[in-house]
This record gives sequence, C-alpha cells and structure tokens, in this order.
Amino acid sequence: MTHSLHRRGSRESLSRDFVVLSCSAKGFNNHNYAEFCRKFMQICLKHNPVNFGDMKTGNWLYIDPQEIIERISNNTIVEITYDSKENVISLMKELKEADLGISVVISGISEIVDEIAREAGLGQVHTREYSLGTHGKTERLPEWEILEFHTMCGHAMVSPELIKKMIMDVKLGRKTPHEATVVMGKCCSCGNFNIPRSIELLEANLPLWTIDDPVY
Amino acid sequence: MLIDETKCVGCGRCSVYCPVGAHRFERTPEGKVYAVVDQELCCECGVCLRAGVCEMDALYEPELEMPRLVRAILSNPLIEFKESGVPGRGTAEIKTNEITGRVRYATAGVALEMGRPGVSTKWTDVEVMTKALAKLGVGFCDENPVTYFMKDKKTGELKDEVRNERSLSAIIEFDCKLEELPKVLEVIKENIDKIDTVFSLDVACKIRPDGSIPVLSIIDQAGFEVLMNTKNNMGLGRPRFREEGEPL
Repeated sequence: MTHSLHRRGSRESLSRDFVVLSCSAKGFNNHNYAEFCRKFMQICLKHNPVNFGDMKTGNWLYIDPQEIIERISNNTIVEITYDSKENVISLMKELKEADLGISVVISGISEIVDEIAREAGLGQVHTREYSLGTHGKTERLPEWEILEFHTMCGHAMVSPELIKKMIMDVKLGRKTPHEATVVMGKCCSCGNFNIPRSIELLEANLPLWTIDDPVY
Repeated sequence: MLIDETKCVGCGRCSVYCPVGAHRFERTPEGKVYAVVDQELCCECGVCLRAGVCEMDALYEPELEMPRLVRAILSNPLIEFKESGVPGRGTAEIKTNEITGRVRYATAGVALEMGRPGVSTKWTDVEVMTKALAKLGVGFCDENPVTYFMKDKKTGELKDEVRNERSLSAIIEFDCKLEELPKVLEVIKENIDKIDTVFSLDVACKIRPDGSIPVLSIIDQAGFEVLMNTKNNMGLGRPRFREEGEPL
C-alpha cells in the first residue's frame, strides 16, 4: 500500500520526484491488462522518464526498455519515474487522450499533483493516500541523508551501508555520481529510483561525510 | 540466504548490500576469513545475491519452506504472494480504486507498514498492533499477507509458526468508516511505545466532488502530521465504479 508514498527529502528535492505507476484491477481487467499496459508504457517512454521498470522484470538500468514492455504480464506493477512536472503533465494529457482504461497513480507532492491533474484536463484527483510519517523506535532509523536515498526504493532494497559506501566511493574518486547511482538503482528492480535526484543528493552529501567513518 | 564458507574469501563485497546488516565475518581455526549470514536477522530479500558481486559464487539461496518462506514473501519484491495474486507486500488498495470502489466517501483505508523504512520487523511486533486494532473490530484486508497469516482475524492473533519470523516490512491493512478513524488513530498512538521497531503510517480517502477531504481534520485532531508526499489515483481506469451521489 505504501511503496512509493514515503519518500523523504526537502520540498525542493521532492518537487522533482514523481513516480507514475499502473497495475491491473483484479476481477475487472486482469484478463487483458498487459495489452493496454504495453501501450501505456510506450506512451510513458515518450515523455522523458528518468527510470522505467516492471517490478517482476526489472528496470532499464540493466534491461532494455522494449524487453521490459514485451515481458509485461496481466498481473504486475509497472513504475516509471520522472523528474519534471512538465513531463508528467504532457504524459497525463496523452494518457487522457489515449483513454486506455487502466488505472494510473502518481506519487508526488500533493499540490503539484493537483496542478498536474488540472493542467492535464483531468479535473481533481480521484483517491489520495497520505503519509502520516514514521513512528516507533525512530532512533533506529538510518541518518536523514541516507533515508533520502533509501526511501527512493519502497522495498528497501538499497541498503543504508551501500549508500554510505557509494558516497565514500564518489568522495574518494573511485566512482562518478552517475556510476554510484547506477549501482544503487540496479538494486531497486521496480524503477522507482530517481537517477538525477540521486546524483544531486550524492553531490550534496560529499562535504557532509568524512572518509574515516566508515572506511570502505 | 547462505554463504558457502569453503568458497567465500571474506572480501565483503556482498555485505554492504544487506539492508539489515545480517552479514558478518568469522575466521576458521586455520585463520581464513569468511562471511556468514545471521539467520535470525536475514529477511531473505535476496538483494545480496541479485547484486551479482560474488566472484566466488559463494552466496546461495536454499529452497525456503514455511515458516521461513514468510520472510521472502514479505521482503523479496520478486516473490509473489500467490494467495493475493498481487505482486508486492500489500493489496492493490487505492491504485485501482476508481474501478474497484474499495475506498468510498464514507470510509478510509489505513496501512501500517511495520519495519519500514530500513529497520525491519519481528512479527511479534506486528502482532502487538494487529491485536490492538482487532479489539476495535477493524476488518483486516483479505489478500494481504499479514491477514493471511493470522490465526484469527477477530483477535489479530498470528499463526504460531510465523510469530517468530522477521521481514523487511509487513503491511497491516484495513478499511474503516470515517467515524471510526479517530479511535483507530488513538489506538495506534497508544501502542507506539510497545513495539521495538518503526512503522510508516498512511491513510487513504476518496476526494469528494466539492474537493473536500474529511480525513485531514481527523488526522490533525488525532495529533498526527500529514507529510507533503502523497499517492494519487488519477481516475483514468474504466469501467468506473460510481457510488450514490457521485457525479458522472
């Protein structure tokens, strides 16, 4: 229920972070969903996504997007990440026009998603899910800066230790921010990991971490 | 996940991939260093194996059986929970709500994702919450793995064999009437200090034709804060479910 909902970050950073997803409605369209989902994915590709995946197949960091589309089944969740409101607006306009009849969800900052719905001619959002934050033993959470990366994969596949290692690898010149991002993004098979945002976060984190804690 | 100590050279490349830090190092009497996976901490998510970084081919996933299979079902996104027919850890929830009509104007969808983000959860902690919520008579969602592994949905008690398991997360999911939501949030709040993990909380609602969102004042009065990020069903699915009073 919460896969792309609980992303953490500043308003400025999250304002360039949108996950568009679709899945079949069991008992309604799961007998022929794949056919329409393939059309949906082809349309998504035209609007400059920054990541693209099917949770059962993987993301475009290691599988060709056309192969991802080909392997779509009636029973999967596809997820496409964007870093621009304008691109999501143009996407939603085309999806409205295409009238595929499958459900489409956008995760993002509420007011911006409202703007997207208005400007794409969709009227108001149908159903909204709110994050009420994280509770309990919050002292056990990774550092805030690590959570900004970690929560870009809702399944928690990008480990806090890997994120720290990637920050260190970039700081020590072993990897470029893009190379480090690809290592992390490959762990998130769904395609939720926002590539440009991760690169920005890596660059922002370099001055915050010292090379002796931890040493990799 | 297991590591063949006869193949492992203790390089540590796999260990940083573990979301819960379950990999540690040991030494043979002869002094050879090798990695082992702490079987209590390991959630069977499989990410260390999929990373493909072991040049010695030492990592391997044995065929999992119940109850340990629960860990993989709730932690490995590539494993489907067959009983729901929905990939992932929960149900389709609001993702298809304009078609299914699951959440309506007079109801709210509630989910507690135990262990998220980045901490993981023991199922004894999951049970603390399910038992507390069951006392309110909430209807736990069918097709959700946590509900499936309950001994009794009326009490929220989990099956004995899964109680000592652990997973990266476990989503407790149910719908309630709007007038029940204040009490639900109160009970959640009362039990926060009784668990040894974290949980992320969400509430879903259908936006009314006039744009009003009644759950927001309920959430506010309950002392919870709504974060800026939301998940939004854009209403493109067909045929559309229409309840009484809903405009065409």
